[in-house]
Amino acid sequence: MFRNIYWKRILRTLRDKATLFWTWIFPIIMATLFYVVFANLDVMGQLHEIPLGVIDTESYQQDISLHSALESVSDENGDTLFTVSLFGNTDEADIALENGDIDGYVLYDLMGDDPTLVVSDDGLNQTLAKRFLDGYLQIKNSVSIQATERLSSLLEEETYTKEISLSNNPPTEKVNYYYALLAMMCLYGGFQGLITVTYLQSNLSPLGARQAMAPVGRMRMVAYDLLGGLTMHFLCLLIAVAYIIFVLGTDFGSKLWLVLLTCFVGSVLGVAFGAMVSLTSKLKEAAKVALLITVTMVCCFLSGLMVGGVNYTVAEKAPVVAWLNPAARITDAFYCLYYYDTYERFFLNIGIILIMALAMLTVTALFVRRQRYDSI
Amino acid sequence: MIQVHNLVKRYGDLIALDHFDLTIHKGEIFGLLGPNGSGKTTAINCMLSLLKYSKGEVKLFGQPMGPNRYALKKRIGVVMQNVAVFNELTVIENINYFCGLYVPDKAKRKALVEEAIDFTGLGDYRKFLPKKLSGGLLRRLNIACGIAHKPELIFLDEPTVAVDPQSRNHILEGIRKLNQDGATVVYTSHYMEEVEQLCSRIMIMDKGKAVATGTKEELKAMIRTGEKLTVELHALPESILEEIRGIEGLVQVDYADNTLTMRYAAGGHHLSTVLDILRRHDISFGRVFSEPPTLNDVFLEITGTELKD
Ligand SMILES: Nc1ncnc2c1ncn2[C@@H]1O[C@H](COP(=O)(O)OP(=O)(O)OP(=O)(O)O)[C@@H](O)[C@H]1O
Ligand SMILES: [Mg+2]
Repeated sequence: MFRNIYWKRILRTLRDKATLFWTWIFPIIMATLFYVVFANLDVMGQLHEIPLGVIDTESYQQDISLHSALESVSDENGDTLFTVSLFGNTDEADIALENGDIDGYVLYDLMGDDPTLVVSDDGLNQTLAKRFLDGYLQIKNSVSIQATERLSSLLEEETYTKEISLSNNPPTEKVNYYYALLAMMCLYGGFQGLITVTYLQSNLSPLGARQAMAPVGRMRMVAYDLLGGLTMHFLCLLIAVAYIIFVLGTDFGSKLWLVLLTCFVGSVLGVAFGAMVSLTSKLKEAAKVALLITVTMVCCFLSGLMVGGVNYTVAEKAPVVAWLNPAARITDAFYCLYYYDTYERFFLNIGIILIMALAMLTVTALFVRRQRYDSI
Repeated sequence: MIQVHNLVKRYGDLIALDHFDLTIHKGEIFGLLGPNGSGKTTAINCMLSLLKYSKGEVKLFGQPMGPNRYALKKRIGVVMQNVAVFNELTVIENINYFCGLYVPDKAKRKALVEEAIDFTGLGDYRKFLPKKLSGGLLRRLNIACGIAHKPELIFLDEPTVAVDPQSRNHILEGIRKLNQDGATVVYTSHYMEEVEQLCSRIMIMDKGKAVATGTKEELKAMIRTGEKLTVELHALPESILEEIRGIEGLVQVDYADNTLTMRYAAGGHHLSTVLDILRRHDISFGRVFSEPPTLNDVFLEITGTELKD
């Protein structure tokens, strides 16, 4: 019985061209895109620090916190964001800006208020400088001036100060993007869950009704079928990882097994998530697909996979949401591999993922046991 | 084989089955005949415990049916109104999968699958995916998936909808064969000719109720109207029409478009009387048809509406 149901699911998935494209080919295309983009970013990032001017006024001299903030990102050991040059007055700075010697300069107005950034056009460097200054002001206004020590460490937590890692031996930053991709792929396992539910519930499809008449326990059928879906989904993650390692040449090093573990646990969560979402809502298949995509996208967005930094905001404003967000947990597990040398937080994440998956499977099971419907 | 007692099924305010009773014996081909929306599918789905119902009881093989009665389910084969096969699996894989839900033993299953393929005439299409099959072949696959495990009780819900006459005959022939091999069949349709040809006993349903049950002869005997006679005529003077109307035992006489149509009361035979009158007045006539009453007449008389849609 197991073989019959399981094998049917494997065969179906292998022959479903749309699913194959979205779950197998599409991630590989994305990974390749990342690869190409990084190749360019690496060149830019390594060769060009951002030339930034500062008007050397009394206000600047007195603003010790800005001094130290700039220092913290312009240190000597190579991790340099800015090269700072001082100008006596705005005219000199304007000329330098026009000649392209600097990308922008920091100016204190006459009132001696907060510094502002003067730029002549838009670009990545200008944006980075702007974000730096905004971030600086935000922190400065919320912390006392005396806490300059803390200030610089706070600044370091923001990722725009190039690569900051708590581990001794950081891999290149692009691994993080691959991690984000893998995390998103895990959640797309939801589609496998959706397929199982749709084709096994008598109120959702004629196939469901036909299979409901089989002399096989419902739970068994759903479980075997879900296992088939999970197998196929994990396989597509394995292929993506293999592609990243062997074709794109990124090495996960000694953490490979933990990466695979996260992929597997994440797939379980994704599949369970999809099964639960599609089972508990009374929608038609197309609407369920839309619902699943939306929920997945929202989770991904909240976990910072789309716009960097959203995850920090959510973690601060709504910690419960952050902790219960499946996408955030999977992403966090991956990031732990990147940022930390110790594994407590990593395994905490894995544990939470497993508990969530279990909870979702339990809800699924409770709904599956209902077999008779008011209307089919 | 099947006992349904006092079944009531509501969809919201709509009563789809209204105190429905049904008894089907072993070895029958039982026809559920009714227009669209009369509750045939609902009745089957309730009997199979796929639907909840508000009231009543269903016994199959003498035992109460329920969603967990796997021992009963093992003996049942279902062919639903909607085609339910996996689009990604070939003809043979589909049949093998569904058969495998009932028959775990591989060798035994292989023989059964082959038999089902033979039976439905799908031999040339083993490796075809469902979307490459024509409508009729798809229906045959749908049937093969439902009966490959040789069930003792088979439910077929309009298996011939949208099927060409050739495929339809093939399917009907197959159902007869299944029945000869010992299966009891419950068959729904709104094609009365089909039901008349195939079924040993028939229930006519309307608006969730059984309006009449019996063999087709019994059903036809229930109504006032008997045979229907049609005569083609070029002209018919009013006086002669009146004379014909005077014949005792004719329920209805109409003359229009050069055709004279008459209905006898049940059991009557008046062909010669009518023709004698025509001959006596030297009226030449063309073709003459005589048709026995159809189930449509039965339905018409009992419910006051046409069965045909
Ligand atoms: N899921 C549902 N929700 C609400 N009403 C329904 C539902 N299914 C059927 N009905 C209604 O119940 C009645 C009986 O429907 P049913 O499908 O049993 O008829 P049927 O005899 O099988 O018709 P057909 O010949 O079209 O298959 C109809 O009036 C139909 O509109
Ligand atoms: Mg129907």
